[in-house]
Amino acid sequence: MVLELTKITKNFGGISALTDVSFKIEQGQIFGLIGPNGAGKTTMFNIITNMFLPTSGEISFLGENISGIKPHKITEKGICRTFQNIRLFSQMSVLENVLVGGHCRSKSGVLHSVFRTKKQCNEENEMHAKSLELLELVGLADYRDTIAENLSYGQQRRLEIARALASNPKLLLLDEPAAGMNESETDDLFDLIKKVQKRGVTVLLIEHDMPFVMKLCDRIAVLNFGKKLAEGTPEEIQNNQAVIEAYLGSEEEDQIA
Amino acid sequence: MLGEILNPYYLQVAAFIMINIILAISIYITLSSGQLSLGSAGFMGIGAYTSALLTIHFELPIIVGILAGAVVAGIIGILIGIPALRLQGVYLAIATLGFGEVVRIIFVNWESVTRGSIGLSGIPHMGRELLRFFKDIGFDPDMIGLKNNQFIYLLVLLILVLINIILIWFFTRQNKSRIGRAFAAIKMDEKAAEAMGLNITYYKVLSFAQGAVLAGFAGALYAHVLAYISPADFAYHRAIEILIFSVFGGSEVILGAVFGATFLTLLPEALRFISEYRYMIYGAILVLMMAFRPQGIIDASVLNWFKKNLKSKRGTNHGTRINKNN
Repeated sequence: MVLELTKITKNFGGISALTDVSFKIEQGQIFGLIGPNGAGKTTMFNIITNMFLPTSGEISFLGENISGIKPHKITEKGICRTFQNIRLFSQMSVLENVLVGGHCRSKSGVLHSVFRTKKQCNEENEMHAKSLELLELVGLADYRDTIAENLSYGQQRRLEIARALASNPKLLLLDEPAAGMNESETDDLFDLIKKVQKRGVTVLLIEHDMPFVMKLCDRIAVLNFGKKLAEGTPEEIQNNQAVIEAYLGSEEEDQIA
Repeated sequence: MLGEILNPYYLQVAAFIMINIILAISIYITLSSGQLSLGSAGFMGIGAYTSALLTIHFELPIIVGILAGAVVAGIIGILIGIPALRLQGVYLAIATLGFGEVVRIIFVNWESVTRGSIGLSGIPHMGRELLRFFKDIGFDPDMIGLKNNQFIYLLVLLILVLINIILIWFFTRQNKSRIGRAFAAIKMDEKAAEAMGLNITYYKVLSFAQGAVLAGFAGALYAHVLAYISPADFAYHRAIEILIFSVFGGSEVILGAVFGATFLTLLPEALRFISEYRYMIYGAILVLMMAFRPQGIIDASVLNWFKKNLKSKRGTNHGTRINKNN
């Protein structure tokens, strides 16, 4: 079990963004989190990475309770994320972005860095090599010196994935990775996520592109109005009456309208 | 011959340029992690008073006093930094400006120690102490054709230049390491940096404290170069002046701070012949700068341009050259 969420509830003032949501993600899975806008998917990501504290409930990562520890510690433990509205370090080069992603896997302090001790040089070289390898993986090796904000939208999304992978995550959270991508870019993304899975990284992703999700995911959970509506394999979800109603509206509702 | 060129006045101005460069670097360091601190005058004052009092009352060697001044400023920087860094942007600026004023008011009112607004005089002068040392070991400035005065100021200037070279080297290297990348990442997007596993609090306090140490260090040097300090030297207009050094020169790169401090210290001196109008010109230049080049004179693209042009002059571009972007 990589991630286990137990009865997560999150209230913002009087509004309940999430109510008693529980699910488990197995090692090596690609797990999809879907649901209409405002269903609480991104809130769930923010809770897993502890940017928000849950009102109640427990998060366990690899058998360890991680509720309430600092966001940067979460990354150290092996959970890293991308953002729905891309948040790259826009004035840095592509390579530097990935190097920052590797920050928590390196240790050199101020003095080591200034005097360029052997340890620091080795560490820096390893980080460079690894970052270049990740850029190769996401197909951005030719853009290593480009400033991040000059990349196309799809490239920026892929760079975010490379940056997150640089922290050696065991669990990668992708927040709408295919948003705003054209068909061929989406196909590339599909291959990329499959490759990430092959590296032994478990993936949890939020996505609105249904054909993409159904094709990619091993298991899917559906949120609606902060509650878990259904969970299962893509086929089960596709045939689930409650899910169809949530997305398309029920027949009775149509008649009233 | 050397004796004719070395005008003590020019040497003194050059010494102040060096001190101002240290101050500009101090604010550059805090800015590089995205924090606008206006407390530099306060930290400078703390360094100056600490060192001055220690050397006057306890007759400690100047170097011990200066280091103590920097350390005390750094410790206070950490103490102020931890709570203050919850604030961002202008809020942090106002809070640190307030801190600087509190420090100044303490200097004014704690008369038994600081002698109030009269200030401290009789601070051991770095150059004169060194002259005494050289005379003790049997060296006289006359031997190289210099007057005592010239020798003193020349020595002080050389020491300050050396200090600046070390500091620039130190922070350039720090910038190119994971520490510098962490500062830059926090400056660009704090939330994303945190999600990438950076301990935001640590790096913000680190850069704030480094800025405080440098400001304290510069303040202590100032005290021993001038031999006289008063609270008015560390008022808020000093903090603004230091900020302008860095912003004018270009706050993205360390050379911007160096350039800004040099240019803006020289400008009023060079314009002395038009006396009272010179600060008008100073102001006008700042206005024009912010209108036409808000990022400062020197930024990354200027540096790249220089690098490229210097390289091609040296001829490294001959022969086969791999173009990475194609």
